[in-house]
Amino acid sequence: MTSYLVRRVAGALVILIIISAITFYLFYAVPRDPARAFCGKICPPETLALIRHNLGMDEPLFVQYWHWLVGIFAGREFVQFGSCPAPCLGYSFATQEPVFSAIVDRFPVTLSLTLGASVVILAFGILTGMIAAWKVGQPLDKIASSSSVIGASLQIYFVGPLLAFYLVDTMQLIPRPSYVPITENPLDWFTHLMLPWVVLSIIFTANYTRMTRSQMVEQLAEDYVRTARAKGMSSRTVFFRFAWRGAMIPIITIFGVDLATLLGGAIITEQTFSLHGIGELAVRAVQNTDLPMLLGVTIVGAAAIVLLNIVVDVLYAFIDPRVRLS
Amino acid sequence: MTSHSRRIASMTAVLAAGALALAGCAKGGGGGAPQGGAGATSQKPLENKAVSAISVGTAADSTGPAPEVPGAKSGGTVYMIDRDDFSHLDPGRVYLNYNSSVSKLFTRTLTAYKHDDSGNIKLVGDLATDTGTTTDGGKTWKFTLKDGLKWQDGSPITSGDIKYSFERLFADFITEGPDYAETWLVPDPKKPFRDQYKGPYDGKELDTIETPDDKTVVFRLNDVHPDFNFTVAMTGYGAVPKAHDTKQKYDKQPFSSGPYKIVSHITDKSLDLERNEHWDPKTDPIRHAYPDKFHMEFGIQVQQSTERFMADAGNDKQAFTFHNAVAPERTQEVLNDPELMKRSLRGLTPFTTFYNINTKRITDVNVRKAIITAWPSKQIQQLQGGEVSIGKIATTVMSPTVLGYEAFDLYGKLAKPEGDPEAAKALLAKSGNPNPTVVYAYNQTPTQEKVTVAIKEALTKAGFKVVAKPLNAGTYYDAIGPVDNKYDVYWGGWAADWPTGSTAIQPQYDGRLIADNAPNYTHLNVPEINDAIDKANAITDAAEAGKAWAAIDRQIMDQAAIVPEFYQTYFGLYGSGLGGVKFDPIEGEQSALDIYVK
Amino acid sequence: MTTVSWSGEQGTSRGPGPFLSVRDLSVEFSTEDGIVHAVDGLSFDLEKGTTLGIVGESGSGKSVTNLAILGLHDPAHTKIGGEIWLEDQELISADRGTMERLRGNRVAMIFQDPLTALSPFHTIGRQIGEVYRKHKGASKKEARDRAVEMLRRVGIPQPETRVDHYPHEFSGGMRQRAMIAMALVCDPDLLIADEPTTALDVTVQAQILDLLKELQQQFGTAIILITHDLGVVAGTADNVLVMYAGRAAERGTVREVLREPRHPYTWGLLSSMPRLNSSVDVPLKPVRGTPPSLLNPPSGCPFHPRCDYSKLAGPELCFNQRPSISPETGHGDACYLTLDQKREIRTAKTEDRA
Repeated sequence: MTSYLVRRVAGALVILIIISAITFYLFYAVPRDPARAFCGKICPPETLALIRHNLGMDEPLFVQYWHWLVGIFAGREFVQFGSCPAPCLGYSFATQEPVFSAIVDRFPVTLSLTLGASVVILAFGILTGMIAAWKVGQPLDKIASSSSVIGASLQIYFVGPLLAFYLVDTMQLIPRPSYVPITENPLDWFTHLMLPWVVLSIIFTANYTRMTRSQMVEQLAEDYVRTARAKGMSSRTVFFRFAWRGAMIPIITIFGVDLATLLGGAIITEQTFSLHGIGELAVRAVQNTDLPMLLGVTIVGAAAIVLLNIVVDVLYAFIDPRVRLS
Repeated sequence: MTSHSRRIASMTAVLAAGALALAGCAKGGGGGAPQGGAGATSQKPLENKAVSAISVGTAADSTGPAPEVPGAKSGGTVYMIDRDDFSHLDPGRVYLNYNSSVSKLFTRTLTAYKHDDSGNIKLVGDLATDTGTTTDGGKTWKFTLKDGLKWQDGSPITSGDIKYSFERLFADFITEGPDYAETWLVPDPKKPFRDQYKGPYDGKELDTIETPDDKTVVFRLNDVHPDFNFTVAMTGYGAVPKAHDTKQKYDKQPFSSGPYKIVSHITDKSLDLERNEHWDPKTDPIRHAYPDKFHMEFGIQVQQSTERFMADAGNDKQAFTFHNAVAPERTQEVLNDPELMKRSLRGLTPFTTFYNINTKRITDVNVRKAIITAWPSKQIQQLQGGEVSIGKIATTVMSPTVLGYEAFDLYGKLAKPEGDPEAAKALLAKSGNPNPTVVYAYNQTPTQEKVTVAIKEALTKAGFKVVAKPLNAGTYYDAIGPVDNKYDVYWGGWAADWPTGSTAIQPQYDGRLIADNAPNYTHLNVPEINDAIDKANAITDAAEAGKAWAAIDRQIMDQAAIVPEFYQTYFGLYGSGLGGVKFDPIEGEQSALDIYVK
Repeated sequence: MTTVSWSGEQGTSRGPGPFLSVRDLSVEFSTEDGIVHAVDGLSFDLEKGTTLGIVGESGSGKSVTNLAILGLHDPAHTKIGGEIWLEDQELISADRGTMERLRGNRVAMIFQDPLTALSPFHTIGRQIGEVYRKHKGASKKEARDRAVEMLRRVGIPQPETRVDHYPHEFSGGMRQRAMIAMALVCDPDLLIADEPTTALDVTVQAQILDLLKELQQQFGTAIILITHDLGVVAGTADNVLVMYAGRAAERGTVREVLREPRHPYTWGLLSSMPRLNSSVDVPLKPVRGTPPSLLNPPSGCPFHPRCDYSKLAGPELCFNQRPSISPETGHGDACYLTLDQKREIRTAKTEDRA
């Protein structure tokens, strides 16, 4: 197990370095001079040259990448921004704040958003899927199945403002979505994120309802489930202890894949509700061609996905004893 | 998102504005585009005349406190919602208008603009007792500081601090702000100023700024600059205390000389201000500081801020926005709602847009005139959401917000805003080439594609052969920057740094400033105009100078160097619980200085 | 020595009778294509401590019959008729709770493929133990001890260690042993073994069959052994029931059916089985044709499309009228041929093969 993890993490690091090198090259090779952004309206060439030097952009690309890489572990010094302690991912070209602290600062928001939405998705999606499977062909099944189709076709940027308008502005039932640190006030954290969770999870929940239903129906037809029934296990035990275990394996596989999509959904949700998370950071970085921020967010996003996939694989081994971590 | 186009001032702003205004207008250009004409008719139209009388005030005008706003009361918290956080708060790094607007709450400058109820604008002394004096036509400027000026820690603001504030602008990390004063304060304006002075951090002083006593600052410029007192009204020349200069870090947490100080600034999230007890209203002719606190929140898209102002719920009642305009798709709805219109602000900004005509390539003035005459200004305006959302059709170089602006329309654009192909044909006939080819370069965005179609159609009708060259939005300015670029017509935007002709006109039309990537994109180089610029620059009387600049404006239009596009407009909302929210034509957005909680 | 008796009488009141009595059982599935008549009018009895082999091709209804005994069919799509008596308990009309208490306790079942039939997610010990806990109310500890004991009894080495292993860590034979241990953990009166050796190596097959026999002697369990292999039946069962198309084709003691098979289908089954005493170069003759569709069973005798002798019984009989099994007790079969005809044909076939 430990050696497995060490190997996986080492592999992940190699992947991240490759991703960062490629991303760095792609971003910094764009035919656009970020130095312009630091120059006044009438920008003399000598000022432009000075800024390039200040930003460390007057060196060959691979040297710049090397500095970037070293900066993560050893920190860096920028004339334009001052010192950047390790782990340094550079300074944002747009907001002039350290990229790393900007990401760390916003991480709890995105984490709260995605984790909360994951809980809603899994809890609610699996629950309704199980109900549907339990009552195959009955009205409850039909309601769950058809609402899942409706849910899947709704879009965050459509449902989000609509719900916000009715629940927040018109009826004033729930507070305007924002981020309150859980350490500050857990209740406020919860109530202020409720709407974003629901909105982000709607499209996914529906998918998980459908998947759980079909997986359960499939599992219930498995031999070992029949054996369990032949042993006199009650329907409930058979359903929840036996079939459920088997149904969860493909669900977890797909959830691992969906995590990336969920992060994508979080970006739109953050935009929709003006939440200051990594997603908003990414969107603004794209809008502003903020290369260091873009690179930072890409790397952190990639790291998160790689890490979560390791977690999913480990989770696998816990659910399915046939899987060995080696 | 059209609001981006009003983020005026720096080159980057122009860059961003170019890309974003075009991108933003994609919304207005779609099916739901508010029809500018229809909505505007129910409202009093903004006129193409000088929006305000701009003048230089007296020492009496410069004395505090600022005249009371009728009905205003102190106390409460004012909320501000905007899309973007302020990119810079270190005065030396401030160029953009929205950074300036907020800076006025905690950064004071030698001079500033005072607005009265009838829309007149006066340049007055802010830190200085008056707008400065010069005895040699504008080469030597003397400012005297008021009594009772204090930093947020209670220490006095001295002439040494002012001198230091200018010296630190030479430091290598301060690159974003204006560099007029820096260029004028070194011995040789033709050489890079940083080669002549490296800033105060290595202990060296700039000897062209003298401080004979704690209250007096004397600037010895290398040439005559009669409007230097306007120059120092820019936030870029605001006061920074030597004792509290944190260099690069100062940008996030400047030290206050104004009525508020920064309690917390979380980048891209929020900015909280509370009263600076050491600010004395008696020293300040322009700031009221009615609210106890400001809470500013960022990341609110225009669609959201518009909806929130319309809903007017909770704290949003006490909210305004510096910059966010009404979302284009909501414009019509707002215009039709009298209650909403009561808490709306409309006005002309200093931002002008135009199409540069490359005079190096199209050398025949009649061809250039024919382009202007045939230009489909009306169609372009409608494609971008009409007058309310984008702006008024322009006919001059200078904006109506510039001192001395004169309205004239040499090519009958107001009479025939959709273009006059017949008149254009007549002009082309005079040129001897009835079918000249025009290479039109444009930013490739959905809206600009549509605009390009309209332009192509109109010019073709007049006999032109139009070759449209789409350019990547990210590299647009790099493509049109070189003097020997291969395009004939391309879009641009500009705003004066202070409301006189010298920054509205000279950087763009002085033929001696032509260089790669310099603002003179028309490459216009007419000796008479160059001479006239020099003369206007030397006129000490502001009103006289204004007239001279207006004459130059006419000369440039006579040369047909640009097709003026829009004087851009601002249209924004604020919450019902606020009073004293005003439109600031100098910055082109909402002003916080007179705001109070009802 | 017990014989399978075929009683014609049907009724709800029963005095002391056979341990298991299936009366006129019919099972119908509704599918998208129509109704499948999987079992049709089947009756048989089983006495305590004996083994009944049910033989037939796949689709003959032998597995369905036994799922019906345990009530493991899908109630939404299945219609069951007739009666199944386990001593004095009628099973078709029994409620869910009753059936759950019965399964794994009085009646246990083992399946063909122990790999898929065991839960991959739980240890062998737990899967054995939970049956014991459920039915006997044992504690976790007791259940585990019982599982170890059962594993030892079915001949699994080091049961104390193996009890914590997962099915995938067992070999095929070991898994089937574990399956048997699981089935016998509550000392059931009836064990239904559905093709218990089909998925196993030949050597392992014999071991498992021996184990079943041995355990039957120890526990006195009645066994229904479902197989398509008459060879398995020969060595293990006391009585045989040959099923074809959801109906009984022939029944009797192992000796009767194997020595003097009467039904042409049984002949076919026997001739497709290799014998030790027959010469190697004589080819095995499988039953020609394919099993009938149960969606739309043939009229008359369901075997007639594959039968070489249908003409012998009379011109129309086999094609129009369904034969019932006769005589009602003892060695009986469902065929219109006379006993003499059958004997003649069989003698001819035997000589042919020898």
